[in-house]
Amino acid sequence: MITMNSDKVVNGIGALLVLLGIVIALTSWFIFPVCEMHGLYVETKSGSQLPMPCGYTARGETGVGALIVVAGGLLIARGTRETRQTVGVFCVATGALVILFPTVLTGMCRLADHPCRQLTLPALEILGIIVIIVGGYLIWKRE
Amino acid sequence: MSKPPDFHFFRLVARNLGNRPYRNIATIFAFAIIAATFFSSQYLMSGAQQSLDAGISRMGADILVVPEDYAGAGQTVILAGTPTSFFFEDSGFEKISRIPGVAKASPQIYIATLFASCCAAPVQMIAIDPKRDFTIAAWLKENPGLRLGKDDIIIGSAIIQNVGNDLLFYGHTFHVVGVLKQTGMGVDNAVFTRFEDAYVMAEESGQKAVKKLIIPEEKVSAVLVKVNPGTSPAVVASEIMAQVPGTKTILPNGLLNAVSGQLSAITRILYGASLAVTIVSVPLLGVISAMVAHERRKEVSILRALGATKAFVVRLLLVESFSLAIMGGCIGIGVSATILVLYQDFIMHLLKIPFIIPSLTTILVQGGSALLLSIVVGGVSALYPVIIFIRSEPYESIRGGES
Repeated sequence: MITMNSDKVVNGIGALLVLLGIVIALTSWFIFPVCEMHGLYVETKSGSQLPMPCGYTARGETGVGALIVVAGGLLIARGTRETRQTVGVFCVATGALVILFPTVLTGMCRLADHPCRQLTLPALEILGIIVIIVGGYLIWKRE
Repeated sequence: MSKPPDFHFFRLVARNLGNRPYRNIATIFAFAIIAATFFSSQYLMSGAQQSLDAGISRMGADILVVPEDYAGAGQTVILAGTPTSFFFEDSGFEKISRIPGVAKASPQIYIATLFASCCAAPVQMIAIDPKRDFTIAAWLKENPGLRLGKDDIIIGSAIIQNVGNDLLFYGHTFHVVGVLKQTGMGVDNAVFTRFEDAYVMAEESGQKAVKKLIIPEEKVSAVLVKVNPGTSPAVVASEIMAQVPGTKTILPNGLLNAVSGQLSAITRILYGASLAVTIVSVPLLGVISAMVAHERRKEVSILRALGATKAFVVRLLLVESFSLAIMGGCIGIGVSATILVLYQDFIMHLLKIPFIIPSLTTILVQGGSALLLSIVVGGVSALYPVIIFIRSEPYESIRGGES
């Protein structure tokens, strides 16, 4: 009979969070790049080029991704019950931020055919949902 | 002495499943793949079908008559809303309304707007004659008090602007008075205005726009035709092509065939994949079940020795198998539905098909049938261990492992 050791599970979740954080930080730049990585910028009347809304979202997601990496590392280093629950709450909050940045806070380009809308936005939404589920599991896990 | 916990059948099922996590996760994954591929194929087909129904119902026409050389462009305008401008070579479209079987004929002018900046892509402007139009007439009826007045426009759901605001086309300012419901078809990317305003816009474009717009006098891009009740659109379409040379007719069935053709490759792959996964999974799950059956002989025999009936053991095994199938099926359907909904824009862009999220009832029916398929596969794969346990005798099974 094989059962999963609790410490191993916590370490595994910590590693998963580190991986998710890295993926979130990289998604907007390399995996499903936002518009500016495709050479699309907002051009002002003076002729200077500014990032589109998705560019600012990408910068925000990089920061949130880094925070999730730290949370995962903390869980691997110290997997006590208190740490698990703190990291769990933190993950639910950061997971919500991963979704809120492209949808509400800074948003994405409004045109349906822009690469940020077609690929980056859904990818970030899915990653945010996964981080929230992992956080919820950590809060729920008692042993 | 503390009292032992009461016996619950489902607690036993949960414990048994929890005792073999890795194997059960693999089994759940197999069920998830079966359900996900089957659900995705159905979802894509119904999304395209419902989008086409909504788009054709919005168009309100039985036949679309376009210039012979622009049949493809006309189809693209309806299906994808790709901005384009074209006109009949002469003004013979008036003849169409006099052809037997034609109840109503409504001319339209297609104008592709200009690319303005990074965030304003060209859109398809459709100029209509409000007195003869039946494309947005039905929508106007649903919104009493609303009318398409001077410089007013009604926009498709994909056009980024709110009611009450202005939009600039060829240097001419238009006022948004309404937003149409989403159809997933070209009409979502279209802007409806009146003939008069389109002509004024074209006249002013020389001074106001970076490129002059030319709309030839008395010429239109397409004519939408509604046939008399009981009349075959195909017959009327042939008659139009015969009597008005240089025209080509597009029928809703033709559009459906075009979309089915575009979709057939992807649905064939998905249905093929779900069939292949099911065929491969049944023996694979059977082998896993057989391994479990041999591994659990003693466990089941002890249960029998403790007084469990054969029916109880059969129920236990089936419920365990069905639980894995239901868990896997729900995960597969949930994950694929999430991906399909979130990547809707990308799917439309990639497959170049009209697409809307199917109705909740359709999604529930499709999810239910995918779940049923998983349960049937789960039931079939549980048959072998069930037969082994029915045939075995508890005493022999317990002694069987001893040398």
